[in-house]
Amino acid sequence: MKRFIQHEELARDSRFTRQTTALSSLIAELPDDVNAVDALFEKFDPLIEKSTRGTQAEPLYDAYGPGFSLMTNTQALTPGDPATPTRIKLRMHGIYVGELQALEGAGRSLWDFPDAPWEFKMNMARQCWDETRHVQIYEKLLEHVGATPGMFPESTFLFECACSDDPALRVAGVNRGLEGLACDVFRDMIRYAEEIGDEKMRQAIDYVLADELTHVRFGSDWVREFCKNDPERLKRANDFRKQVDKQFNFGGARSERKDSAIPIAFDDRREAGFTEEELKELVGLCGEGPSRETMREAARVLRERHHARKAQAAGAKS
Amino acid sequence: MSERMYPGYGRDERTTFSPYGAFEVPGDLRELVGRYDVESMARRVRNFRYAEEWTMMILGGWIATIPEVPVKTGLGKIVWDCALSADAFGKRLPELRCGRKAVDASEAANDGFAKLVNALSEPETPDLSIEKIAGVFDVLKPHLLAVYERTMRETDQISDAPTIELLEDAVRRTRKHIAWGDEVLERLCDTDGKRERRRRRIATLRAQLEACGGVTGTLADELGRAH
Repeated sequence: MKRFIQHEELARDSRFTRQTTALSSLIAELPDDVNAVDALFEKFDPLIEKSTRGTQAEPLYDAYGPGFSLMTNTQALTPGDPATPTRIKLRMHGIYVGELQALEGAGRSLWDFPDAPWEFKMNMARQCWDETRHVQIYEKLLEHVGATPGMFPESTFLFECACSDDPALRVAGVNRGLEGLACDVFRDMIRYAEEIGDEKMRQAIDYVLADELTHVRFGSDWVREFCKNDPERLKRANDFRKQVDKQFNFGGARSERKDSAIPIAFDDRREAGFTEEELKELVGLCGEGPSRETMREAARVLRERHHARKAQAAGAKS
Repeated sequence: MSERMYPGYGRDERTTFSPYGAFEVPGDLRELVGRYDVESMARRVRNFRYAEEWTMMILGGWIATIPEVPVKTGLGKIVWDCALSADAFGKRLPELRCGRKAVDASEAANDGFAKLVNALSEPETPDLSIEKIAGVFDVLKPHLLAVYERTMRETDQISDAPTIELLEDAVRRTRKHIAWGDEVLERLCDTDGKRERRRRRIATLRAQLEACGGVTGTLADELGRAH
């Protein structure tokens, strides 16, 4: 078995459809400009449409056009909002495939770095079991909210962060960047579960969040250990983590604001070992790129154009 | 004189005795001297650790290349179980005079066993789940189970009791793994062609295992002696 596979090589059963990952990387680099966002989504429209075919995202594409994910990602989970059931399914499904990729990433870290210290291997092996349980938990939670594995396209951008050939960068990206994001998302899901009085969801995610704090600590410890006496490597690891953080802001969806779609979970992150300086940096990164308002406006324009195109096509046919 | 049962843990300890003295201390029928001295047991433990550590790494690598989600999640737990066994073996090594730093010492019994581990890890693509699972769960793990159990029986029951205790844990886990693997393979091998693939894989690797003498490199000798 070779070492260091790419995200395209992840094996899935027939239920799953793959989505392009290029878009999320490019969004992170865009300016805060509606036209720029629209131009990017228009460019990727054929790929986006293709990835939704045969999945439950197809009706969303029909209704909103290529920017359908912007409509869901930039809105908070609000009890009573008619769009919330779809939003919770999409978010839950995104987390489910994310956990699957986290399991695969931790497993690959064992195979890709056979000469790593034993304690590192123990941590990664433990993470395999934890991510296994998370996959099983989210499979149950998907069912709980009326969703199924594979009902939406899967983006593999999480696993892309697990492809670095330097273990320091890998744990910086996955255990500190992504597991840090998981702290934010899960704290928000717990908030939502409490608001709707869903004890099953609240308790299950509370346990998952506890595991994530442990995984962030693994990351903090191993970045420190791998980069001991190597400031250049430490800088590369930190830069990589920042790049991951930036990419996973979902176009302003995550921020320090309490009313944002995904508020930063400051307390959980502190407990997991993030420093005040790192938290300040994260707030700064969340402010970069297109804002939530820009994304919403871009989504509105994309939807209008999509319907205009559909009407034009229907007119031409008749 | 009345006969009483000695309240021991193991079967050999639970036996009749003639009480003596003020506290009626029962006799212990276990005998000193096992098949392995400290040095040879340390070598075995290093061999066991090698097998568990590499199984953990191989299974970890396969999780991404196996399409069936329940198999991925099953392997995720087994990876952790193998890590626990390897860790326990490693912690025993300093106790067997291998030096304080020996906790992460793994050693293949010989080149043949290292090559076998390499052959186990070879299947890579998503269409080879049968070959992957059959290699580890039909060949390697049943072999490890047999060797662990034999070692527990043949080592000094009193002096080497700490090794026996950690082997008991490894045996318990390995039994579960074999049962899981068998269930998965029964599902995966739903045609004659697939069952034949499983049989072929087992035959190839078993021959390689026997040729190298297994995890300790002494399979033929041990089996001969057992017979």
